[in-house]
Amino acid sequence: MTTTKETWVGRGIPRVEDPRLIQGLGEYVSDIHFPGQWAMALVRSPHAHARILEVRTDAARKLSGVHAVISAVDWEDLRQPLPDMKPLSPPALAYERVLYVGQPVVAILADDRYIAEDAADLVEISYQPLTPVVNVEDARQDSVVLHPEFGTNILDYVNFVSGDGQEALKEADHVISATLQMGRVSAQAMEPRGIAALFDEKTQSLMVYHATQSVHRAKERISTFLQMDPNHVHVIAPEIGGGFGVKNGSYPEEVLVSYLAKYFAHPIKWSGDRFEEFLGTYQEREQTHHVQLGIKNDGRIVAFVDTYYQDNGAYPGGGVLVAHNTARNLMGPYRIPHFAIHCYTVMTNKVPQTPYRGAGRPQGHYIIERIMDRAADELGMDRIAIRMKNLVRPQDFPYATGFPGVVYDSGDYPQTFQDLLDIVDVSAFRVRQQQARAQGIRLGLGLANYVEISAGFGFEGVHFRLAADGRIELATGATGQGQGHRTALAQIAADTFEMPLEQIAVVEGDTRRIDKGIGTFGSRTVIMAGNAIVIGGQEFLEKAREAAAKILDVKTTDVVYHQGTFSAPGTSAKSLDWTLLASELQRASHSMPAHEYYFYSNTATYGFGCHGVIVEVNEKTSEIRIPRYVVVHDGGVVVNPLLANGQVIGGVVQGLGSALYEEMRFNENGQPITTSFLAYHLPGAVSVPDIEIHHRNYRAPGNPGGYKGVGEAGIIPSQAVILSAVEDAFRDQGLRLNYAPITPGRLFQAMHREEAKL
Amino acid sequence: MVSITLRVNGTVHQMDVEPRWLLADVLREHLKLTGTHLGCEQGVCGACTVLLNGQPARSCLTLAVTADGADITTVEGLAQNGQLHPIQDAFWQEHALQCGFCTPGFLMTAVHFLQDNPDPTRAEIKEALSGNLCRCTGYQHIVNAVERAAKNLREKSGEKESIQTSTVEG
Ligand code: FES
Ligand code: FES
Repeated sequence: MTTTKETWVGRGIPRVEDPRLIQGLGEYVSDIHFPGQWAMALVRSPHAHARILEVRTDAARKLSGVHAVISAVDWEDLRQPLPDMKPLSPPALAYERVLYVGQPVVAILADDRYIAEDAADLVEISYQPLTPVVNVEDARQDSVVLHPEFGTNILDYVNFVSGDGQEALKEADHVISATLQMGRVSAQAMEPRGIAALFDEKTQSLMVYHATQSVHRAKERISTFLQMDPNHVHVIAPEIGGGFGVKNGSYPEEVLVSYLAKYFAHPIKWSGDRFEEFLGTYQEREQTHHVQLGIKNDGRIVAFVDTYYQDNGAYPGGGVLVAHNTARNLMGPYRIPHFAIHCYTVMTNKVPQTPYRGAGRPQGHYIIERIMDRAADELGMDRIAIRMKNLVRPQDFPYATGFPGVVYDSGDYPQTFQDLLDIVDVSAFRVRQQQARAQGIRLGLGLANYVEISAGFGFEGVHFRLAADGRIELATGATGQGQGHRTALAQIAADTFEMPLEQIAVVEGDTRRIDKGIGTFGSRTVIMAGNAIVIGGQEFLEKAREAAAKILDVKTTDVVYHQGTFSAPGTSAKSLDWTLLASELQRASHSMPAHEYYFYSNTATYGFGCHGVIVEVNEKTSEIRIPRYVVVHDGGVVVNPLLANGQVIGGVVQGLGSALYEEMRFNENGQPITTSFLAYHLPGAVSVPDIEIHHRNYRAPGNPGGYKGVGEAGIIPSQAVILSAVEDAFRDQGLRLNYAPITPGRLFQAMHREEAKL
Repeated sequence: MVSITLRVNGTVHQMDVEPRWLLADVLREHLKLTGTHLGCEQGVCGACTVLLNGQPARSCLTLAVTADGADITTVEGLAQNGQLHPIQDAFWQEHALQCGFCTPGFLMTAVHFLQDNPDPTRAEIKEALSGNLCRCTGYQHIVNAVERAAKNLREKSGEKESIQTSTVEG
């Protein structure tokens, strides 16, 4: 008789996180209140590029309720470079010069934020404005160099070549060229960044409550900047109101709050507001690509050549990583035998770039998908056919793309794409499109494929211990920001220990609970921490069996563990469950079993899939509506389908934002002009459709759990697919779109520009 | 300082506030009801929504002094005697939250909306939620949750009615 074992993995159970959050009991950094705490406010540069001539703080200092007004003019320690931003780290507080609007110059500590902001208004700073460099075209010329000591605005150049590189273009029947761009976007998590710190003079230790995606990295940065023994710095990430990558980096506020809390031995909190979130939180996406695709008459790709420039902003905040990851994604799920990629990261007088959800994956796919559309159009070929011709096939696995270390390993790309076409029912759509056109309505279909490369570097760990009440506690350094890891990881553990979910407690984001950690970003946590549970759990069980053996007074090898019970068959010993084991161990003053395990892996996972979207465009207003959005998605072994759907839908909708509305705009002086939700539009409930998701679950061959990433799948092809669909709606006019987002204003211009047409 | 009285989740508080203090700050900092969140302080995101005399209001745009004498419900006041409000429960079941930062605002908006419109269409729900921003969920599960809550609330009030009817008949 075969029985199917019930597992927790694979079940879409509601989250253990939610009961607190839905009652308003979740504690975010802004909710933390130390008795007597001071609020920090910052005076930020109003100039994109200027010399600081003088800082006058007397008036601010005199205001009642103000405790300190701090500038790097007299606080030399605060001129120190921010950790982790080599080779051009900004000082914690700007002195001598400022390089972007929003760069912190003066910090104010006061009884509350109202008073601190009053004092900020009283600080007088004289600047001598310098020529701002606000776009990569100007920056590349190096006529004004942001960092004279560095000698150039080109922060980084790297090239990647596979096969014959550029030479291979000669073998092509056609070479399709285009310049394709993406505007700057901002993550805009609903919770602005924030940090609170408390110094304990007795133990000389610093407690930091931090809206960060990586408590251990933050601890490292803070102890470096403060020159403190890392053992005396504790970082806790309480609830975090969304991260999307940008709560991961090195920021001035992190070291300022930590330093000042220690210096004054007084609790200090900074809760950023929305305006600061627009000014000071790192941004992403902005790139310009000059692409050439060499193609045979039958649509086969022979070579891909791309030279691109990423607008990094003023300091290295993680932008180089995004530029390199873009290169890794330029092949998409297609067979490209020869390529040459030249990737420049260029500094401008804007807030730095840092990885934002997708972090190069959307950029790479935007380029390859758009140039495929262009190639199909120019060859008079179907946009579907050209993709089918070039998709990596199952017989190609393992398939090395030619980019170092990237080897696609699982799934069936053409079949999955075919499934999408069937679900969308392309031929029926074409008929509807014709009919609609006859009634003056423009419909368009966009299709795009993607590979979601996740994890593949470093480690993540889990500290297991048996708690006094018999529950198994798992602490991990990978802190979530809403993904539901406390539930997903508990599901994995519940299967590992064959126990009910209620008996597992997951603790995230506390450097006191586990020695090391990297953090949550790039959809790595379930893959890394999940496998740490799968493997390390067995080692922990071994220790629990040893402990049980002591209590049962038998040999460890006699102890059998089955579904939450330790027994010793063939002996007279009774059996123990975890609760009894915990209480017996305590009674006997034995230590509780505990184990720390780190899962290291350089094997990335390769989820994949495709998106299909139908748009409806109003020719008069250029408004774009989305009647239908379909995703076929492979996420490997899915731990919790409810959470996976949430990730995919959330990602798609964020992607629709950067495809349709969101763009950080700057004027010619480098002044950001989209600094509120009124000027920078996020998608709202009315503007987005219900997303249809169809799962494919090809187990990841490269890790024991079989997990793959799911956090980026929704956002990767969104810009590509929307621009593709809008062009399709104007196929008869040969509309060409080269810039994302496609806002109504931009669409209007494109429709009325002669050169936009064939 | 101005002395005001607020009735918050059924409890009366008398306090001295500065005329410029926002209702949101008074709730969060002084009454320690930190479930009301501040997402923008620009009146756009809706995270700070509370019920002010039964009507949804943005506590980031409301001066506490102007709320003197008002009856206020915050997210902390939704659950009764340890029982989740049906809308809270629906948010939980439908996975209508990820980071949870926007959630209190959505809950308060939805509570009021379903009182006005107990049997809404999906489009009406979306319209009602259009003043609240969520960056994580993409809204779909939130709309599902409001649909589910509406159904549960209707069934509940249906039960009540039928109980009432039977008592009358009896
Ligand atoms: S905080 Fe009040 S509307 Fe955003
Ligand atoms: S759940 Fe994170 S903003 Fe809505």
